[in-house]
Amino acid sequence: MTDVASPHLELDDIQAGALFERPSPYVGTYLLLHITDSADGRELVRRLHRIVSDSQTSDRTGTTLTVAFSYHGLRALGVPQESLDSFAPEFREGMAARAAVLGDVGESSPEHWERPLGSAEVHVAVAVLSRDPAGLEEAAEKARQAHAELPGLQVVWRQDCYQLPTGRTSFGFKDGIGQPAVEGSGRPSTRPQEQPLKAGEILLGYPDETGELPPMPTPQVLGRNGTYVVFRKLHTKVAAYRRYLRERARTHDEEELLGAKMVGRWQSGAPLALTPDRDDPGLGGDARRNNDFGFADDPRGFKCPVGAHARRANPRDALDHDGSVDVRLHRMIRRGTSYGPMLPRGVLEDDGADRGILFVFAGAHLKRQFEFVKTQWLNDGIFIGAPAEKDPLVGPNDGTTGFTVPRRPIRRKLHDLPPFVVTRGGEYFFAPGLNAMRWLAELTP
Amino acid sequence: MTTSSTASSHPGISVGPTSEFSLFFRVKPGQGPSLRSALEELQNTEGYRPGDYGMAIQTIHEARFVLFDEDTRLAFITSFDGPWDAYMEDFFTSGPTLALFDVIFRHVEGYDGLPDLAAVKAFVLSAEQAAAAYARNYGGTVKEIRKAERVNAAFQQVLDHPAAAELLEHPAMQPLLDEAGD
Ligand code: HEM
Repeated sequence: MTDVASPHLELDDIQAGALFERPSPYVGTYLLLHITDSADGRELVRRLHRIVSDSQTSDRTGTTLTVAFSYHGLRALGVPQESLDSFAPEFREGMAARAAVLGDVGESSPEHWERPLGSAEVHVAVAVLSRDPAGLEEAAEKARQAHAELPGLQVVWRQDCYQLPTGRTSFGFKDGIGQPAVEGSGRPSTRPQEQPLKAGEILLGYPDETGELPPMPTPQVLGRNGTYVVFRKLHTKVAAYRRYLRERARTHDEEELLGAKMVGRWQSGAPLALTPDRDDPGLGGDARRNNDFGFADDPRGFKCPVGAHARRANPRDALDHDGSVDVRLHRMIRRGTSYGPMLPRGVLEDDGADRGILFVFAGAHLKRQFEFVKTQWLNDGIFIGAPAEKDPLVGPNDGTTGFTVPRRPIRRKLHDLPPFVVTRGGEYFFAPGLNAMRWLAELTP
Repeated sequence: MTTSSTASSHPGISVGPTSEFSLFFRVKPGQGPSLRSALEELQNTEGYRPGDYGMAIQTIHEARFVLFDEDTRLAFITSFDGPWDAYMEDFFTSGPTLALFDVIFRHVEGYDGLPDLAAVKAFVLSAEQAAAAYARNYGGTVKEIRKAERVNAAFQQVLDHPAAAELLEHPAMQPLLDEAGD
């Protein structure tokens, strides 16, 4: 298409969270703040601006602090209406208003969300991640100082999170493997046959895959180098998941296989596309190989089911001949993290603990990236010719839906899938560039 | 305030997984004949010849271009799987589809040509009219229909086997036996 030269990214203006992997393992904290006094709010932004991690220096410290604002947060800071109106419609509406579209219904519906998630009270999100508790404590102290003695600010929600050294999350699977490379970030693709995404797919102010600039809020200084962030607290019903598999498997190996078929990868992270019959932890842990695959040689899904979570979430080359969809328009940076204690191995009874994933997305297009993937690929099966099936692991299943595992001589069908993931709340945020933060801090209402 | 989800971003009605989609254009003065021959050419392209069943967009059930009002107007009418709204961007960046449409659209008013995608998008959206009524006679997606056709062809092959009747005697085969009589 149009020839756009590889952009020079203004790394010192871009918050680190979108472009760079976090240290592994890490510990972290998410804070949500409410602004009752806009001058105090702007003072917070001024202080945070000094300690937020940009994409140039964060590498060296092992600690990152990321800041993002909801629509109501920007309004509370005194951003002019004209500028507020220039943000993406989904962002302006907020996540709770999108519940019906996103499939956040029943147990996942906003009326059951943790307070104050999804409400107009949530203004600022601050995420602090560090290699170790000491680093986290230090960074958290800085964040505390940023809002200390500002009576017009309240911390309204807090959630600690972490990544295990194994990278495993609550269902037992290594997560955070499949990520697109971004042009200009200096980080190579983990899938050699896949060109890095145009920077404008992730960051505002650069051309995207359509050859155009993504719609950007005004004024330019506010939008440029920013990115939209999707934040969702997703509770995982680990005991129910284990029992579901146990009841349908005769052996431990079969249980592992069914679990892997649902995800598209084995627990170690090894992709079914490369090792369909048994886990290969060496492969799973090898970042040079564990993302180097496609599905074109497996159109019917005998190795990796077409309905598996990771294949739905990123069909790679599987839809190349469909003519209806350009997979590159539906990628995302994921920065998910674990919360709550892991359910000990082998336990099949629910212990009542809250555990799961803080799902975090970064991208320039809420609608055609996050909402498209969630609604068309995870919540629906039209695109794979199975309208009655949803994502078996994370989809809004209701106890009547099923999952087809292609197999010779005959396919296996899992029935009566209950929901294994419940939305506890979330919000759409905007993570501005550093200049934009300065602009916000200096607003004169 | 949040007005974008009005008619323009949700054109078309859906029945089950399938949506209807119709565009109406005015033909540039004097271009009726050249548009007609461009459509004839399209009709003779591989994939678009009657019986080829191989349109570039594989989620489309069928599509037609209709010239009317003495070739002064053009309609493009189709049904496809999935919500149009979600797939709009893909359509506008899909090379083969755009190239094909480019050949047709250049004969109608308001089209400024590629590669200004934003302009093409605005142009197509402005030509869209949602149906006032829409019905379908089967519920499946194109992918399911194709699979069903393959399965039926295989079933017919099995029925042609001399031992078919005997094989279908097994109680588990009853649903297939019920379909085997005609
Ligand atoms: C509690 C909920 C979820 C769990 C437990 C979960 C788990 C996983 C796992 C185990 C993988 C495979 C490892 C990897 O490639 O990183 C994966 C991949 C992925 N997931 Fe999720 N996921 C969840 C929710 C979501 C949601 C809501 C989305 C998007 C809307 C999503 C999008 C993706 C994407 C894009 C990939 C990478 C696919 C690839 O590039 O191969 N996930 N997820």
